[in-house]
Amino acid sequence: MDVQHVLTVPGRYEEIQKVCQFMADGAAVSGLDQTAIFHIELACDEACTNVIEHAYGGEDRGEMTVSWQLDGRSFIIRIHDNGRSFNPDTVPVPTLPPDAAEPENVKVGGLGIHFMRQLMDEVRFEFDDKSGNTLTLVKKKK
Amino acid sequence: MSSMNIWQESLGDEIWLVAINGRLDQTLTPSLEQQLTVLLDDGKARLVVDLSQTEYINSGGLRTLVTGWRKAKQQEGNLVLCGLSGRLQEIFHMVGFDQLFQIYPSRQTAKAALANA
Repeated sequence: MDVQHVLTVPGRYEEIQKVCQFMADGAAVSGLDQTAIFHIELACDEACTNVIEHAYGGEDRGEMTVSWQLDGRSFIIRIHDNGRSFNPDTVPVPTLPPDAAEPENVKVGGLGIHFMRQLMDEVRFEFDDKSGNTLTLVKKKK
Repeated sequence: MSSMNIWQESLGDEIWLVAINGRLDQTLTPSLEQQLTVLLDDGKARLVVDLSQTEYINSGGLRTLVTGWRKAKQQEGNLVLCGLSGRLQEIFHMVGFDQLFQIYPSRQTAKAALANA
């Protein structure tokens, strides 16, 4: 397994682009293609937004520590925070076209997690009383 | 009225353009939400959102567009989109929003469609 690359940033929305760039650079040197890099950026954006909104309940209430490493063909991302436990099962499932019978019935709550699950090969949430939330995202190299 | 990354202008025929420059993420979404709210509260419900200079959009940006579209529809107007890059088209397609919004190649075609609606 490759060495782990780590970045810690304050829990602020303006810091998320820095996280996305850190992951995009890591994915590029790891040999992932442009489409995969774009998917990683979007998934990390959604994950960090969830940390600020749900785990910390707002900006400037804690840090986010993110890391990446390459394990064979798997690009592994971890996003850690010390906020409230985040249970993805409590997040509503969006109702999107074509499942929404009428466009007016579209429900967009839970879109961030929906994106993560669509874009990544694995999505795992873990919570520990002492160490907080850890989200693991895996993107496989083609 | 404008901010650095989002601006609006009249296209005539009571149609308004809102253009977004840059990354439509959590840093820019509140400004878009505010500008759409001002227009819609003022009864300006025929809107073209030009995304040709928008590099990126996340779920928060999509939610804001859906909210604006829904309010415009409630006022018997519409909010249509134009100028999506390949990346943005991929995101819209992934969540089926290419079936929800009317999407046009340019602001001219979008305006013509609204004017004829």
